[in-house]
Amino acid sequence: MLYLIGLGLADHRDISVKGLEIVKKAERVYLEAYTAVLLVDKEQLEAYYGREVIIADREMVESSSDEILADADKVDVAFLVVGDPFSATTHTDFVLRARQNDPPIPTRVLPNASILTGIGCTGLSLYNFGQTVSMVFFTENWKPSSYYDRVKENVGLGLHTLVLVDIKVKEPNLEAMARGRIRYEPPRYMTVAQCAAQMIETEEERGEGVCGREALAVGVARVGAEDQLIRAGTLEELAEVDMGKPLHSLVLVGKRMHEMERDFIRDFAVNKETFDRVWARDYEGKA
Amino acid sequence: MVNFTVEEIRGLMDNPKNIRNMSVIAHVDHGKSTLTDSLVQRAGIISSAKAGEARFTDTRPDEQERGVTIKSTAISLFAQLLDEEDLKDIPVPTEKNEFLINLIDSPGHVDFSSEVTAALRVTDGALVVVDTVEGVCVQTETVLRQALGERIKPVVVINKVDRALLELQVSKEDLYQNFSRVIESVNVVISTYFDKTLGDVQVYPDKGTIAFGSGLHGWAFTVRQFASKYAKKFGVDKNKMMERLWGDNYFNPKTKKWTKNGDYEGQQLERAFCQFILDPIFRIFNAVMNFKKDEIPKLCEKLEIKLAGDEKDLEGKQLLKVIMKKFLPAADALLEMMVLHLPSPVTAQKYRMETLYEGPPDDEAAIAIRDCDPKGTLMLYVSKMVPTSDKGRFYAFGRVFAGTVRSGLKVRIQGPNYTPGKKEDLFVKSIQRTILMMGRYTEPIEDVPAGNILGLVGIDQFLLKSGTLTTSETAHNMKVMKFSVSPVVQRSVEVKNANDLPKLVEGLKRLSKSDPCVLTYITESGEHVVAGAGELHLEICLKDLEEDHAGVPLRISDPVVQYRESVAAESRMTALSKSPNKHNRLYVIAAPLSEEVSKDIESGKIGPRDDFKARARILADEHGWDVTDARKIWCFGPDTSGANVLVDQTKAVQYLNEIKDSVVSGFQWATKEGPVAEEPMRSVRFNIMDVTLHADAIHRGGGQIIPTARRVLYAATLLADPSLLEPVFLVEIQVPENAMGGIYSVLTRRRGHVFEEVQRPGTPLFNIKAYLPVNESFGFNADLRSNTSGQAFPQMVFDHWQLLPGGSPLDKTTMPGKIVETMRKRKGIKPDVPGYENYYDKL
Repeated sequence: MLYLIGLGLADHRDISVKGLEIVKKAERVYLEAYTAVLLVDKEQLEAYYGREVIIADREMVESSSDEILADADKVDVAFLVVGDPFSATTHTDFVLRARQNDPPIPTRVLPNASILTGIGCTGLSLYNFGQTVSMVFFTENWKPSSYYDRVKENVGLGLHTLVLVDIKVKEPNLEAMARGRIRYEPPRYMTVAQCAAQMIETEEERGEGVCGREALAVGVARVGAEDQLIRAGTLEELAEVDMGKPLHSLVLVGKRMHEMERDFIRDFAVNKETFDRVWARDYEGKA
Repeated sequence: MVNFTVEEIRGLMDNPKNIRNMSVIAHVDHGKSTLTDSLVQRAGIISSAKAGEARFTDTRPDEQERGVTIKSTAISLFAQLLDEEDLKDIPVPTEKNEFLINLIDSPGHVDFSSEVTAALRVTDGALVVVDTVEGVCVQTETVLRQALGERIKPVVVINKVDRALLELQVSKEDLYQNFSRVIESVNVVISTYFDKTLGDVQVYPDKGTIAFGSGLHGWAFTVRQFASKYAKKFGVDKNKMMERLWGDNYFNPKTKKWTKNGDYEGQQLERAFCQFILDPIFRIFNAVMNFKKDEIPKLCEKLEIKLAGDEKDLEGKQLLKVIMKKFLPAADALLEMMVLHLPSPVTAQKYRMETLYEGPPDDEAAIAIRDCDPKGTLMLYVSKMVPTSDKGRFYAFGRVFAGTVRSGLKVRIQGPNYTPGKKEDLFVKSIQRTILMMGRYTEPIEDVPAGNILGLVGIDQFLLKSGTLTTSETAHNMKVMKFSVSPVVQRSVEVKNANDLPKLVEGLKRLSKSDPCVLTYITESGEHVVAGAGELHLEICLKDLEEDHAGVPLRISDPVVQYRESVAAESRMTALSKSPNKHNRLYVIAAPLSEEVSKDIESGKIGPRDDFKARARILADEHGWDVTDARKIWCFGPDTSGANVLVDQTKAVQYLNEIKDSVVSGFQWATKEGPVAEEPMRSVRFNIMDVTLHADAIHRGGGQIIPTARRVLYAATLLADPSLLEPVFLVEIQVPENAMGGIYSVLTRRRGHVFEEVQRPGTPLFNIKAYLPVNESFGFNADLRSNTSGQAFPQMVFDHWQLLPGGSPLDKTTMPGKIVETMRKRKGIKPDVPGYENYYDKL
């Protein structure tokens, strides 16, 4: 049996009791470490689970999955995914491959908290969210703005948009890759500030009034951890704010926001004056 | 020798109308350097004890030894017209009768024609030297074509006339016929490459654009010179006289009338050219060579030649040389021809600007170039690097096209990959020093205005081989030079002593800088490879590497040929590859690109920097492409300019633009190292048929798309009947009739074939043109020599790519298959070519 086990958001202790039992008795345990990272390192994880954990990087999962799936039809293999196994990941393909294996490998999924739900800590109602988008690191000549169209659809309906930000845990250097060599870049994690700045950049390029300097947004960092941090403000303000260690996310606030939601996030405002002014001018009663 | 100080030369530079920048070009051994010498002795500017020594412009010891020019060298000359009146004959009004002529002597051997390209770029005119006896040869044609492509105006000197007189003993009329044949063949080449903007630049003796002479003996004349002499004597207009002294014009001594008809009362009249020009020359030759002692003083007196005391005692060739030199000094004829008929930078840059500059023709930089404006924005093109006496450092050699450059000026150094607005391949640095370069000497100079040629110190670290220097932040690049030769022969090198490796690596870097055409790189398996245009070129490069640039003992492999991978058919099914996360899929078909299109891409007629609409027009009108397809060419490759194209044929795929860069990177990678033997690809058109993408940009970044693009292109290639192309030399051989059999047998043994065989009129020599695969060319020279008792002299130049015959390269039992296996082993990859299944993903 292949178990896909969600680990939750913050640290090693967020695993479910049922998940922990499976981990303890499984033949092999893999930790997927590229779509998200835990805020603790592998050693702490191994100490807490009391067993060895194999780190599975992108290459292993995408290109040599046979290794992970070997004998999984006979023995139990646990595949640990930070957050929730199917939220904001590409693991459907992995499960497909298990299914197509000869003989087929039975799979079971243990859900856990994901940023998709954890974002509720901002006080914004999950009912009012539109499509989730993700923000990649812009390079000098690669600035994909397709996310903008979907944010625009959300904004049109007055919905909030959850923006997940890029992490590059072990990404190959693209220039070296184009020369036929694999060289890994040092890990990089996008911050709320970078994300806000890139959104402003796209807005300035497209100019359709979706995420300009004065659009209200909420930035979160390390959701679910003890030092969780939430800040609200205009994108311009957030582009200057330092939210500390990864992982970060950002919510672009929709105009359909309820007053309860507003009261909740106002407490996190970087500058309450601008928050109130922008709210009154652009948001209140505009949906 | 004229003695000039740097200040005086600097003074001349301010007068661009009185500057002529020109290169001397010719086939090997047609006597460029010797001819140049006679100019230097007479008009060279910087005085020196050494100057005047033979082959002034051959600065390297091996050039002197071999008697072959390897590197081009610049020298400056000072000229004045003998007659102030002649200033009026210059097409552009010119006031001062003092001219600065910057002359670049370039190599004639085909292996070094990249040096010629670099020389042509910085000059506006060309002195084409043609051997009277050998006529227009393959390299004459190549360099002439290159010159016309750069919009450079030619004048011609027909050299080695002494040989025709002394060795072949031709008659006057035969010599005339010989001259007109050579001129005709030069004009055929010129008119083939007719350029509307440049206008008709064919050469005519009666216009004064052709000189005849002997570089060795130091004499030359133009029809114009004789015309001015006779014009005074006959009291007729000079221009009328010029027309009469060439072609079917006769002077009837009985009627004292000019006529177009050579027949008078049943008697053949002597052609005016023979009667008035050749006759005195023939008489001198006759008198001197037949030792008619009493006739000589009379002749001298008649021709107003004064011999010095000890000169009167000379005999034979020595005396001939002295008399002819005094009678018709070569420098006078040539300098006059250059000054009158070659354009000044001011004239030339007007029509050359659009072929020189990549940017729009109306921006600041373009206008400054067009006007040759010394006060405008600086536009300077560095065409090559010249090694200095300081080991490992180079002078950047180039020309100021606009503005004024001076020591200490802060400039933008833009390499060939620079694009305006980006920071790639761009440095902002100060110029350490500006210098004048004269043969083997350099002189510091404070500043140099537009229209002049110069050397720069302190730029070499920032430019690999060539580039643009400017002060404008918006200026585009000057166009990158296209070389007529390509590095098709390569040898790998290794150090004998392992400790020397760092020196080799450094040496390779220097070598690649010092030669415009050489290519050095490290293969996957760690081999250091040097590639050059031919055996001789490579030999010289490796000698330089061993003795100079690296300075350590080397072990050098046998020469190896570079192949190209191509396809012979369309992919038999659409290739599909999925990204590692399986959420992105690319569908591609490979198909052969027609040879004409590939050639146009390689010659730069179609390229990545063209306007896409103009490019589509050419492809549609001349090559039968569908216009919609032609507009959707994503890129060329390898190295963004090679002869493979990637065409987007998808319909309405969302976000396609966001993966374009990644697909292009994968395409560059794949075309650089093909699937069959990791050789570069050529002549393949890849059509992207469809694409499915993950909705979120985060899951379709470069890491997902680049390897996928490469895989799908490989699969498409392997599905399209892959083939190998081998480079083929055009060989030109001059040989006497009795040795022809030997040539045929050697060529046949080496898979070569003759396609043209012409006898040179009036000589027993035959001119043979043949195609010979480069792979079979190693040792060809020696083989040919031994089979023709040393009577055949081949010239080889890369001509085209041809399909390597003998079957599929995937089948190990065929010849191509064996070549592929050897290549793969050499490169340290597994000997079997992977099947397409390795790159293909099932749906």
